[in-house]
Amino acid sequence: MDTVTLTIDGREVTVEKGKTVLQAAIDNGVQIPYYCYHPGLGIDGSCRVCIVKIEKLPKLQTSCSTPVAEGMVVSTQTPEVVEARASVFEFLLINHPLDCPVCDKGGECPLQDFSYSFGPNESRMEFPRRVFDGEGVRADVDFGPTLMLNRNRCILCTRCVRFMREIDTDPQINIVDRGYGSEIATFQEEGVHSLLSGNLMDVCPVGAITTRDYRFKSRPWDNPDAVDTICTLCEKGCNTTAWLKAKPEWAKGARLIRITPRFNPDVNDYWMCDIGRFDYRWIEGDNRLQKPLLRSEAGVLEPTDWRNVVGKVADRVTAAGGPSALGFLVSGHASLEELALIGRLGGTLGLREEGVAVGWRRREKPQAPGAKFKIPPVDAPNLMGAADMGFPVRPTSSGDADLAAFRGDVEAGRITVLYVFDPGPEGTLGDVSWIVEARQSGRLQHLIVQGVLMTPLAAAADIVLPGAAWVEKDAAYVNEQGRLQGAARAIAPPGEAMEDWQILVNVGLALGAPLTYTSSQEVRAEIAAGLGDNPRYAGLAELAFARPTAAGNWLKTSNPSERWKWDFMFQDLPPVKFVGKPGATSWMNGIPLTEVE
Amino acid sequence: MEPVLTRYIREPNSYTLDFFLKHDGYNGLKAALGMEPNAVIDLVKASGLRGRGGAGFPTGLKWQFVLKDTPLPKYICCNADESEPGTFKDHVLMERNPHLLFEGCLIGCRAIGAKVAYIYIRGEFFHVQKVLEAELAKAYAQGYVGKNIMGTGFDCDIVIHRGAGAYEAGEETALIESLEGKRAQPRIKPPFPAVSGLYNCPTAVNNVETLCNLPSILLNGAEWFTSLGPEKNGGPKLFCVSGHVKKPGTYEASMSTTLHELIYGHAGGIRDGHQLKAIIPGGSSVPILLPHELEIPASFDAVAQVGSMLGSAGIIVMDETTCMVWAARNLLYFYKHESCGKCTPCREGGDWLHRILTKIENGEGEMRDIDLLTSIGSNIAGKTLCAFGDAAATPALTTVKHFRPEFEAHVREGRCTVPADWRAARTPVAH
Ligand SMILES: Cc1cc2nc3c(=O)[nH]c(=O)nc-3n(C[C@H](O)[C@H](O)[C@H](O)COP(=O)(O)O)c2cc1C
Ligand code: SF4
Ligand code: SF4
Ligand code: FES
Repeated sequence: MDTVTLTIDGREVTVEKGKTVLQAAIDNGVQIPYYCYHPGLGIDGSCRVCIVKIEKLPKLQTSCSTPVAEGMVVSTQTPEVVEARASVFEFLLINHPLDCPVCDKGGECPLQDFSYSFGPNESRMEFPRRVFDGEGVRADVDFGPTLMLNRNRCILCTRCVRFMREIDTDPQINIVDRGYGSEIATFQEEGVHSLLSGNLMDVCPVGAITTRDYRFKSRPWDNPDAVDTICTLCEKGCNTTAWLKAKPEWAKGARLIRITPRFNPDVNDYWMCDIGRFDYRWIEGDNRLQKPLLRSEAGVLEPTDWRNVVGKVADRVTAAGGPSALGFLVSGHASLEELALIGRLGGTLGLREEGVAVGWRRREKPQAPGAKFKIPPVDAPNLMGAADMGFPVRPTSSGDADLAAFRGDVEAGRITVLYVFDPGPEGTLGDVSWIVEARQSGRLQHLIVQGVLMTPLAAAADIVLPGAAWVEKDAAYVNEQGRLQGAARAIAPPGEAMEDWQILVNVGLALGAPLTYTSSQEVRAEIAAGLGDNPRYAGLAELAFARPTAAGNWLKTSNPSERWKWDFMFQDLPPVKFVGKPGATSWMNGIPLTEVE
Repeated sequence: MEPVLTRYIREPNSYTLDFFLKHDGYNGLKAALGMEPNAVIDLVKASGLRGRGGAGFPTGLKWQFVLKDTPLPKYICCNADESEPGTFKDHVLMERNPHLLFEGCLIGCRAIGAKVAYIYIRGEFFHVQKVLEAELAKAYAQGYVGKNIMGTGFDCDIVIHRGAGAYEAGEETALIESLEGKRAQPRIKPPFPAVSGLYNCPTAVNNVETLCNLPSILLNGAEWFTSLGPEKNGGPKLFCVSGHVKKPGTYEASMSTTLHELIYGHAGGIRDGHQLKAIIPGGSSVPILLPHELEIPASFDAVAQVGSMLGSAGIIVMDETTCMVWAARNLLYFYKHESCGKCTPCREGGDWLHRILTKIENGEGEMRDIDLLTSIGSNIAGKTLCAFGDAAATPALTTVKHFRPEFEAHVREGRCTVPADWRAARTPVAH
């Protein structure tokens, strides 16, 4: 690696050649603010807050657009720089509405933080602020199906414009008008229609672009915990963070409050798609399976307890009359652990090879042909893992799951007991209406469904085993690149639902399989031992899963170069300056105000 | 000095190809085609020709910087955006002497190895565009532009592109963006256009008047050109004198001519019964000069020496009826309206300056507003992406610097105290 050594604020730093002064500063913990710069986007040089003094150059320079050079001497703290920078902050705020108390970005807003740190203490602006759409009435507009746009808050950094142009490659956003009248807009106010739209909220350094999903739902300080995990909604496996809202047990509403991308240059960069970002509400929704269910004599699914239901599963399987009458349909959402246990189960029962099938859904995602972030078509996180584990991953020529033979066996009544393992969101197993039909017509005698939602399939089942969604269990998956990754348990499964590996162990034990695992980690260790010669699984036994940690900030995880900003932000603010004691008329007796010098 | 560029512009047919050919037309190009491209660059360097668009950068040097060692095509972009207030020289050349510009473009292309020149013409110059297009068609038909020019085997096209009417499109990188079909907003430099310009290819952006000087340099030589003016400020120059003079207009003169001569000689002096108050020598973007500062040559260097700039050589003359608060506000209205809005200080600060000036002019100003003008102006200047920011801050800074008592009087009296002329006497509107 070619390096360059330069001096920033009297400190010698060595960085990779080709980096900019701003990147050199960020890498070395030197504090320079920035808005238009984003590590995942092209350089714009327009916001001007990153200006620094570079020796030998007459004017101040924007550090984001200046490449480092050997021996360069940079100052970020000279009075000239401090003053010039403060003046840019003053400019940035003269028209900003400062409606932080009702702004979704409030508390995790780079404009707030940097203005506190680098801006002047007060503004000299005394004129009415700029408002769009008639005195603020319609400044807040729909910005497509997933987003809202508040133009009054926009600082015109064009990160959103550049994201659409450079990453999405369908440049739906631009600035219309010019100068003081510039505003962010889409053609005929149609808004943004893209499966990558949520990233615009991430890149927007203010509360101008917010997601409808998260809007007004929570504040940063209400989300004390965050869990680093991965998304399992397709074969890409984007690295993500799941955000948990503080909530007493009895309170209504969800704990899982949002999902944001986490930087991984090898998988998803700074981005994730809207499916992974927004399709999580079902996890704490009303349609979740919370108790084991058993079809009664009267033909109604009724709640029962685990002991009873596991026994019933064993009875049905035993009654099938031999392994050839038994079928397992496994979703591509099954983790390595779950697959291993299903494998053990099949082995114990002497299941035929044709008795097992793997199903998934495949959908082409509408995206611009040149999109730099591609959402793959297969909505399953672990097909690669399933194939490695010896499961029959059989795509048709169009890439869909080829279930023809298996379906034939079910429809012809050759398989009499079908065990479906379906831990993904509804529909991700592909078309299952034929199973429902086979069961209803009686050609299939027994249907056991281990899943997470009350789907038509579960509704047709004789036995329903409530499992866990991917954020409710520690589990390992292998993405389309063959990369082993773990999804962490961020919240507990609802009601009596259980982590799937446990259900499978219990079912196995009831069927006489000699299973001794007491944790999913033990399952992983055994898989690792079995697949020892496959380097892909080298890290499986030690795979670490994040636990909920005190939330820093979503930007901090989504974008490491934002990190120092948040270290900054979560420092305590200076104490409220209050002189004297609260007067007798103060009704807020409960709030102690301390006097500071 | 005998006019060189505008010698024939009063002849009824001066703009036609026939007329042009009878008066040495395309002979400069013929000379250039007989030379090695590098020799053309050397000749232009020796002539000391400096860009007439505003910055006065040596044209030969600019061409030398154009990357030669590249498989990429190269381009000449002729800057015909002429939007600087007080500037009206390029359109005279284009309207009355279009072939001179074509010839200049072709010589430039020959020098840097370009196969096409784009003439980016200001959106409002519809009538000029019509002349250019008609004459260009004739030049194509008679083999002066296009394939195998004058039988020499040299191919070169000229494309006329009319902008949408934005001052900022005159900034060279904004012009390039606009040519590419994007918003006319500047790019960060470096890279300079000479390295990465139009379609990211090496490009020279040259002003109309600059290019129009080339044919005569090719014909008469470098020495002749330098001899026409003071050292490093050679050649003929067009001056646009406007404002309170008897004969406003475009005048061709040597840069040895003093500002005083241009105003009192060429332009006939201040209108009767009035005295000179101030001038802006280089288009609206440069600092004011006072009456006692005019005995200097109207050259790039001499004007710079007294703290202003020759800029586009648009000399705006103001007599004692001009209210300086009004003048500043008038110009700031222009700048805040024309700011492209890309960078923060110019977008936000220009409008702020305009609001404060409006407030003072409306008689609602406070004393601290005057200091605020200076502070905001200095906060814009030097902090922006392109030179527009400096240009926008200048009218506020320079008027307060030279005419502070006038601002104070506005604040004190709550009205204009200058014996203002009809325009200044009008009640300003908010915006
Ligand atoms: C805001 C702004 C507006 C400009 N407008 C013009 C213009 O209208 N015409 C022009 O020739 N140059 C204009 N320029 C200067 C150009 O950027 C560039 O320097 C010039 O075209 C180069 O040509 P020259 O070297 O022949 O002068 C402008 C510059 C700025 C910053
Ligand atoms: S909407 Fe946000 S990202 Fe887009 S320009 Fe405005 S502040 Fe920047
Ligand atoms: S200085 Fe003004 S015109 Fe130039 S880039 Fe900035 S906003 Fe645009
Ligand atoms: S971050 Fe450098 S100009 Fe915006």
